[in-house]
This record gives sequence, C-alpha cells and structure tokens, in this order.
Amino acid sequence: MSFRIPCPQCGERSAYEFRFGGEVLTRPQAGADDDAWYHYSFVRRNEMGIQTEWWYHRFGCRQWLQAVRDTRANRVIRAYFPDGKEQTDLGTGES
Amino acid sequence: MRANERFSFFFKGKLIEARPGDSIGAAMFRAGVRVFTRSFKHHRPRGLMCVAGNCPNCLMNVDGVPSVRVCTAPARPNVRVTPQNVFPSLDFDVLAASQKFDWLMPVGWYYKTFTSRGAWKRVEPWIRKAAGLGEPPPAMAEFAGEAPPYEHRYIHSDVAIIGGGPAGLSAALDASQQGLRAVLIDDQTQLGGHLRFTPSEAERRDRLVEKVLADEKIEVLSRSHCFGLYEDRLLGVVQLPCEGREIESVAHVRAERVVIATGVFEAPLLFENNDLVGVMLSSGVERLIGLYGIVPGSRTVIVGEGPRAERIAALLRDAGSEVAATVRPDQVVSASGSGRVNGLRTADARIACDLIVVCGHRVPNAGLLHQAGAGLEWTDEKGAFLPTRLPPNVEAVGDVTGDDLSPAVAAPPAYPVSKRCYTCYCEDVTTADLSAAIGEGFNEIETLKRYTTVSMGPCQGRMCQISAIGVCANETGRSMGETGVTTSRPPNPSVSLGALAGGAHTPVRRSPLHHEHEALGVVWMNMGEWKRPRYYASDPSLGERECIEREYRAVRERAGVVDVGPLGKIEVTGRDAGRLLDKVYTHRFGNLPIGRVRYAVICDETGTILDDGTISRLADEHYFLTTTTGNLEFVVQWLEWWLIDTGWDVHIANVTGGRSSINVAGPKAREVLSALTDIDLGTDAFKYMACRQGEVAGVPAILLRIGFTGEMGWEVHVPADYGAHVWKSVLEAGRPYDIRPFGVETQRVLRLEKKHVIIGVDTDALSNPYEADMPWVTKLDKPDFIGKASLETLQSTPAGERLIGFTMLDAGRIPEDGASIVRDGEPVGRVTSARYSFVNKTGVGLGWVKAELAQEGQEIMVRVDGEPVRARVQHAAFYDPAGDRLRM
Repeated sequence: MSFRIPCPQCGERSAYEFRFGGEVLTRPQAGADDDAWYHYSFVRRNEMGIQTEWWYHRFGCRQWLQAVRDTRANRVIRAYFPDGKEQTDLGTGES
Repeated sequence: MRANERFSFFFKGKLIEARPGDSIGAAMFRAGVRVFTRSFKHHRPRGLMCVAGNCPNCLMNVDGVPSVRVCTAPARPNVRVTPQNVFPSLDFDVLAASQKFDWLMPVGWYYKTFTSRGAWKRVEPWIRKAAGLGEPPPAMAEFAGEAPPYEHRYIHSDVAIIGGGPAGLSAALDASQQGLRAVLIDDQTQLGGHLRFTPSEAERRDRLVEKVLADEKIEVLSRSHCFGLYEDRLLGVVQLPCEGREIESVAHVRAERVVIATGVFEAPLLFENNDLVGVMLSSGVERLIGLYGIVPGSRTVIVGEGPRAERIAALLRDAGSEVAATVRPDQVVSASGSGRVNGLRTADARIACDLIVVCGHRVPNAGLLHQAGAGLEWTDEKGAFLPTRLPPNVEAVGDVTGDDLSPAVAAPPAYPVSKRCYTCYCEDVTTADLSAAIGEGFNEIETLKRYTTVSMGPCQGRMCQISAIGVCANETGRSMGETGVTTSRPPNPSVSLGALAGGAHTPVRRSPLHHEHEALGVVWMNMGEWKRPRYYASDPSLGERECIEREYRAVRERAGVVDVGPLGKIEVTGRDAGRLLDKVYTHRFGNLPIGRVRYAVICDETGTILDDGTISRLADEHYFLTTTTGNLEFVVQWLEWWLIDTGWDVHIANVTGGRSSINVAGPKAREVLSALTDIDLGTDAFKYMACRQGEVAGVPAILLRIGFTGEMGWEVHVPADYGAHVWKSVLEAGRPYDIRPFGVETQRVLRLEKKHVIIGVDTDALSNPYEADMPWVTKLDKPDFIGKASLETLQSTPAGERLIGFTMLDAGRIPEDGASIVRDGEPVGRVTSARYSFVNKTGVGLGWVKAELAQEGQEIMVRVDGEPVRARVQHAAFYDPAGDRLRM
C-alpha cells in the first residue's frame, strides 16, 4: 500500500499518514429491520473498481475525508471533505 | 587508514591480505582461494563467476551476517569471514557424495517420497541441515542496550534514477540541469557501472562521476539495491553497510519520476559441467582484471563469438594470460576437470586450460519494470526480453532497453539434457531436471518454476531464467516469446528481515511527573507509548511484592497517590455537546446535571464494547471526558466521525498532553486534599461521582470524585506545567498520614478487588455489555445511539459466555492472566486478570466462562502451572461490595 491521497487540506500525501475508515455507507434509520443492520455492520461491497472510502489524516490535519479510489490500480482519483466544500483532484497524467 | 595501506581480515582463522578498494571476494581470490561455496543440493564446489553480486556462488557469513555476496562486499580490516553450508570444509565436503546419488533425488523427490503421515517430520531436520543457506544472525534481543544496526529513512525527490552506469549518471545530470532534485541509486561501491572496468572508458567515467558528485541537487546512494517499485512510484531501497556507514538501512524513496538505468547482467550458457570452479562469465573476468588487477587464469579458453569474444581475448592477452582458443558456444560439449577446470571438450578436441570464459546471455535487468506492470517482450534479433508498456512516469534508459544487444546464442538452441548441465546454480536444477519436469506435465514456465524451484533461489532468476525459458521452449516446441517469462515480484534482490523490521523509531511518552517518579525509586513499565510506574522500590531491602503490599496498605488504610496522566482526556464543548455524547455513548449524558460524573461506555454498531471512561459535566455546554490510555486517538476520531454531517455545534479537543492527572485515594484522602484547597470536600458537599473546578495547591484544577481503587478518592487534573508542583504538595500534605505514591501494579490489585474491569484486558473484540455483566450502562429507551439496534437484540439473546469474578480456593495458587478455565480437561473459559488479594488472603480474578458456569458459588477449575486448581464464582465485589467506603 504505497499510493498517495490528495488531502484537501495538506496536499498529496503518502497513504502511510492516513487511517482507513472503510467504505462510505449509509447508516440505517433508527428502527430499521435486522437485515438492514446486518448489511450495514457486516456486508461490504469490496468493489473491484471505483469506490468511495473514509480516510482520516492521522499525521496531518487530523480530519476525516472521503477519497474515490480505483481499487484495481490502487489509485486515488479524488479526495474531499465530507461537507464537499474543498476538494482536490490529482493532476493530469495520472489517469 | 591511509590510501594505499594494506590490511587484513580473517577467513577460516587465516589472515587474508587486502588492498584498499578490494572486495572481500577479490582479496580472497588474490590470496589463492578458489572454492567459495558448496552448492545447495549437490554440494559441488563453486567459485567466483559473475563478480557483480548477482550469482549465488560466493555467499558467505561475514561477522555473523549470513549470505553476504563477498564478491562485491567491501573488505574491511579484521572482519571474520566463514563459509556456510559445508561439512566439514569448503575443500572437502562429505555431502558432495550426494551428487553420486542424485538419481535418488530427482526434482520434486520430496513431494513424492515423504507422503506418509510423519515421514516429512522425521526427515525435515536432516534435509534442512544438508541444504540451506547458513545460520540466522543473532536475535534482535542480543542487541539489547545498543541501537540495532538498522534504520529506516524516507527520501522525497523529483527524480529517482536506478543504476549508476553511464546512462544513469547522464540521466541524473539531465535532471539536475532541468532544476530537479535527483536521487541516484547504485548497487556498487563506486559509480560508473561497466565504465569502471573498461580501460578505454576511464576518462569518460571520471568526468561523469566527478560532475555527479559535485552536483548538490543529486543525492547518491551507493551499495544500494532497489528491491521494489511500488504504486505511485514508491521505491524500496536497501542500503548495505560500506565504508563510513555501519548501518544497514531501508530507504523509502518517493519520486515524481523514475528512471530505470539498470543495464544488463550476464547469464551463463548451458553445457556439461558449466558450474566447475574456473568457469567464469566474461564480465566477471573483466571486473577482476579492471577493478582489482587480478588475472584469474594462465591459460584460457573463451566460449563465445564476435566482437565480445575478441575484446575479452585481447584483454586477457594484455593481462598476460595465454588464450588457447576461442570456441563457438554450439561447439562446446563439456568442461572437464574434477572440481576445478582443466580443459574444455569440443566435438572433436580437448583443449587444456585453467580458465573458461563464457560470453553469456546479456539480459536486460528489467525486473523492477516488470514488477511495476511493464511488459517483457521477446525480440529475436536482440536475444532478449525487452521492456514494453512502461507505467506512467517511469522510463528506461541505456542498456536495459536493449539498445546494444545481440544474441549470445540462437534461441532456443538444442540444449544438452544432462545431469551435469546446470541451469540454476542456486538450487542445483539441471537441464535434465527441467526436461523430466516438463515430461511430467509441468510444461508452462510458471508451473515449471514452482515444481523445480528454478529461479526461486537467492539470485532470483538472474542466472537461470533465460536458460530455463530456453529449455522449456525447446522441449515443448514453442518459441521463446510463447513460453514467456515468470512474474517478477518484490523484494528482489532479497532484503534482510532485520533491515525491514528493525530500527523503526519508537516514540516514548513520558508523564509530566516522570522525574518525580525517578526521584522516588520508580520501577518503570511500558504501556503502549507511555512509561508508567509499575511500583516504587521504596526500600532496597524489600522485594517487588513487599513494596506493592506497602503501597496497597497505604491506600486501603491511609492515603495513596497515583499518576494517571496517561488517561485520555478530551474536552467536548458547544450547544450540542450533550447530543453528540448521547449518540455515541450508551448511557445518557444530555441530562447529566452540572457538577456530576457518570461512567461511560462506547459500543460499536454490533454492540461490542470499544472503550470506557468517565464523563463529567463542568458547565452547561462543557463536558470533560476520560478514555482508556490506548484508545484515546480512536475515541477522538470516533467522536469526530459521528459529528460529520450533523450540523451540530460541537467542538472536540484532545487535552491529554496539556493536563497532569493524579488520583489521591484512601480513607485520609479528604484530609490530605483539604490542606491544599478551599473546595469543601465534605461527604455531602462533594458527593461520590461529583465534579468541581477550583484551586489545588494554588493551581486551577478539575476534581472528580470517583473510585477506581474502591476507596474515597479524587482524580485531580491540573495544567501539565504545574503537575510536579501539585504532586509534591500532595505528598507533603499527606506526610502526617504516611501517604505513599503507588504504581500501576498496586492499582490493578485495588481495582480487581472491586471487580472494576479494564476494557481491552478483561474484554475483547467480541464482548458486549450484557455478557460483561454491566447491563446498566445501556439506556435502550434513548431515541437512537450507536449500537442500539444490536444491543436491543443482544439484551434478549441468551448469553454464550459471561464475565465473572472468582476466588481461588487454594490460597497459595494464583493463575496467570490468560490461563484457561477447564472442565473435564476441556477449556470452558479463560482468566483475564488475577492477583493476590491482600484483604481476601487468596487469589481473586476476572474471567470468561460458558454462561451455565456463571452461577454464584459455582466451582470452576483454573489451570495454574499446568494443573487445574479449584476456584469459586463470586458476583459481588471482593472488597466493600456495598461501596460504602466510596461514599464516606
């Protein structure tokens, strides 16, 4: 795991600096049935392709961000804060 | 050491003289050593062949480090060099007799032979002894006290260039001229690549090297092997010790652009006895002559043709060796000699000689490119697999691109299929073995590799891959391109485990009271990154247990004080602070009155306990949280995460490092603290589970009245800079009551007597609050919180296991943490904590058992020193079960 993540606050940094927070999921509403909770807690898409993930910049700005990663090439295409206000794209030539 | 001074080192107890600039192998060769190793399986004598650190023929133990390629390792004074995998010696190895019986051990023989149950177990130690690559180096533990000779470095650069030959040097200078920073990675001790041993190129080499070394924008890593090219151009580089640098380091090099200038290496040709001592590769001979002034033979036969053969012949003649003949590769039948070469046999003659120089395959060193996803395509007119389809921002320059190549032999040729015709020098795989394996159906290059282990030895296919592909192609009637190459994977070349593992920087965190503890004779323990007092060796005549008992009795009978600085401390403020805590913690906090403290547990969505601590409400919009030491970072991230997208007004601040925290506990704690503060600490004015802010010893403080130890006590949090002042003031104020500082070990006994759990010690990654016997922490009538759905289900599900307390019925026997709880010899549970309880005068503990054994008074068997010992389940705390002492 040696790819880089373009942190919207700190710039492009090694994935070593981040903690992985899993796929971006939607939490079921209170009172949802067991099946919904089961899927939310245990079932992951584990996409072969483009997926959106949580990352926490431990050794940087200490903020949670979301990154869009191509799991086949281990390349992060885009990263942004979850409020969507700031985002960075990798420069051209990467994809 | 002066520039021209000679020095010596030890080989098998004898002194070997070396000249400055010598490699260990070169000095040994000059001193007359010819046999350097015994081969892996057949124990055949092997000598210098490539002199470039590629082949496995010179692996030796140097000062305890196994498998050093001595042909390139710089000689240093007084090092001790010993051969490996020989019995009893290099020159006479009894196991060499094994080659007479190699028909008994065809390739794959151990897969087929040792198939019965237990057979492999019996023979494995013998096979390991006979085959192998030396002894492991001393364990890291033996470096105790001194820094291990390893380190990790991180280098960021615009351009990384691998290979210090003419192409690499030029690429570095080009980059520098464009204003870019470059790091140049070269595996030899000196830059220059093949120019170093090509006399006509000496001037060009000096000019290039001088410019590179003078250039401040170029960083040179010598004796450094790039073993992996990873995603986004991260290079793994191992830098071996050399003059002026004793440490072996792994450099993580990140570059915007990577230039591969790794050139070519030479691989042997196939003929019978091609592994005899005295059969050398042409580039090895060029290195011995050009770098070390050593002429390796007096009468030479050259196997090769064209300009390369002519050039090497001229070089040898100039150096004073007689060139008896130059033979085309397809005319060679075998090398002759017993152990050492004494001639070369062709179809119609035998030519006497003491050196055979093979102009072998020149193979582009493209493994890194292949690893990184580039293709390798066979090109007939070059006689090589050439790199294609390079990954983005990676380029190849110089010989590795195949610019200057021509085939050594037409491929695939009709190879001799002989037991003495070695394809793989590392693992003694012959053309006969390959042919047999192909006959058995392993006719794809990847399966052939796995079955025969060809290309899986220390040289990682450098010597054998091209010829193994040739044999496979020839035997299966396919072309070289159709046969294809095996996959390249990092690490290549090999990296010592010590270099990968060792030397990483381990941060140490010290409490603001660190020096106070030292002054009191502390015995430290490591807890995560923290140094914490285990206990205080307050009286040199007392042992650990007596010291702990004294600390314990001070707390139970008078007063004690413990440093709880490593506790995680978080301030949560803002209008919606209570809402966030209600969402994340299982208990209710929005309704917590100001000035009150509540025990707090975090569960995940599956209802598993993640952390615990206390939450105090200091003001309407101001909460003060404590967490376990190890989970602090996690809890901060968890709170931040659940805050996302809520739009709530909450601010989360980790204040752990900014606060010094102590716990003053014991029946006299009130008297001790009252001397230092104006806050009314009276039974009713400052109740159990209350909190106040005020001054202690003149310092602003947060006081929490909580009872982890089971005694009346206050946790006092003050600004870190004033921690030592407050600590000393408490000890001074407590002097009339004979107060004692106590350590983690005493605290563990105290809390265990109260059955207070430690999350992560007494619970694990599957524990939920119901099984952990704390159902009261969950408030399922809250509208929604993390884990609620699962906890609702768990509440009505019968528990599989339960966390119980137990007392030992045999007072002298204390189980270790982690001991098993058994019934009829089968495990039915495990101990998580157990200590000797000074009040109960027997062992007490916490543990998990199957739910049906969790009844009050149930007798269970706990293993102590390997035998079951009786214990009894007890639900109430072992000390003050009603909690009266907490509320005094």
